[in-house]
Amino acid sequence: MPQPAGLLYSKEHEWVKLDGDTATVGITDYAQNSLGDIVYVELPRVGATLQQFGSIGVVESVKAVSDIYTPIGGEVLEINGALEGDPALLNREPFGAGWLFKVKVVDQGETGNLLSPESYDELTQE
Amino acid sequence: MTERQGMPETMRRTALFDAHRALGAKLVPFGGFEMPVSYTSILREHDAVRHRAGLFDLSHMGQFALRGADVGAWAETLTVNLVANMKPGGARYNIFTNDLGGAHDDVIFYRLDAERWLLVVNAGNAEKMWRLVSAAAPPTIDVVNNHGAHALIAVQGPRSLAILGGFVEPDIDLAAMKYYSCVETRVRGVDALVARTGYTGEDGFEIFCDAEFATNLWDALLDEGRAAGLEPAGLGARDVLRLEAGMPLYGHELTEEITPLQAGLGWAVKLAKPSFAGRAALAAQAAAGSYDRIAGLLLDGKVPARSGYPVFAGDARVGEVRSGSMAPSLANRIIATALVAPAAADLGTRLEVEIRGTRHAATVVPLPFYKRPR
Repeated sequence: MPQPAGLLYSKEHEWVKLDGDTATVGITDYAQNSLGDIVYVELPRVGATLQQFGSIGVVESVKAVSDIYTPIGGEVLEINGALEGDPALLNREPFGAGWLFKVKVVDQGETGNLLSPESYDELTQE
Repeated sequence: MTERQGMPETMRRTALFDAHRALGAKLVPFGGFEMPVSYTSILREHDAVRHRAGLFDLSHMGQFALRGADVGAWAETLTVNLVANMKPGGARYNIFTNDLGGAHDDVIFYRLDAERWLLVVNAGNAEKMWRLVSAAAPPTIDVVNNHGAHALIAVQGPRSLAILGGFVEPDIDLAAMKYYSCVETRVRGVDALVARTGYTGEDGFEIFCDAEFATNLWDALLDEGRAAGLEPAGLGARDVLRLEAGMPLYGHELTEEITPLQAGLGWAVKLAKPSFAGRAALAAQAAAGSYDRIAGLLLDGKVPARSGYPVFAGDARVGEVRSGSMAPSLANRIIATALVAPAAADLGTRLEVEIRGTRHAATVVPLPFYKRPR
């Protein structure tokens, strides 16, 4: 799957897309492929304050529970309600309609802790 | 994102390992072997087995060859079910028990002829069971451990009969084979034992053969079965299929501590047998009747219940989940088995499963969750 331009990545296989001070967060295609069929997603509450790299929810596949860590800190503005009825969106469109949540970024400097697309590619090809 | 599970140690491989890799399988440690958990997706493979057919490599399971005139009588002293009255061509589920009535393993005995038997044990228990069986066997019984040397390939699903029909000798009438029967034949010219057994809740067959023939047979079955919808299926699908079908998984519904009676397998426990390991304990348990037992739970919501989650009736903790999954055959509802106090096991009882600190309502329902249409 081609990765959309302009994303930054965490070592835990989340992506983040910045638009001003709003960041959209999701999991990567590599992550959804490793997990297999996703059957349930638990996301933070709107209004919650998240710390970068904090554990903020879970993704459950048929087989396993996996923690989600936010690649960037901030206040949760919106969660992707479509995932409640159709968690498999994460499998089908991890970089698109399967986004997880949006946060209002507090410290843009945190992006310095994230991976470029090139570095993330290297990580997943190890 | 981190999956909540441990890392593999040193893994064994079955004869079909290269075939799995060529098919792009996702491999995971299971019972000491590196096994395919899925090839495409667990849900797709589950669907194939329920509606068409799936092909499984189960060569990680332990296979012991037993030979002797008194295998049946001897085996009856170690297990809960009857063995000696099995006829050649028969297969029977059984459980080896400890002195407290707990389960060493659940197994299948296959009787090939008057003296020759095949005992199939769980992969994770194969070493323990080999120690037990080889130490307990009298000199009149010859026991051979074929774990890893013999392959096991299963074809499971409503189309398995049509698919396998073209593979056996013409004198073998697969359609006439009863559930839990077996026959020695040749499958594509290879000596094999074919049994109408399985762990999916569907019709199906299991083929036991020497490991050196496994790859050719696997490839031929896939090549010729694809047109009928046969797909390779992994252990992930198998676990969902068996849970829906209400079949126990050793280590979950049945353990050294959980007895066959507690697991709802009383039908296999023949207390009328004069003596067997754990008989006194099981007889006492049956007489008392007030033991924790495995119940089927149907959860109200969409949050999967997993092994180890606590179960409550009101404020009282009454047990814990032993297996859980989303169940594609039950409209994607969440199902689970739980070991619960007797008062909490009555059908229709409303319970709660605690998942990450939050209670989720569930109802006790009959097992199995799924029965195939006949």
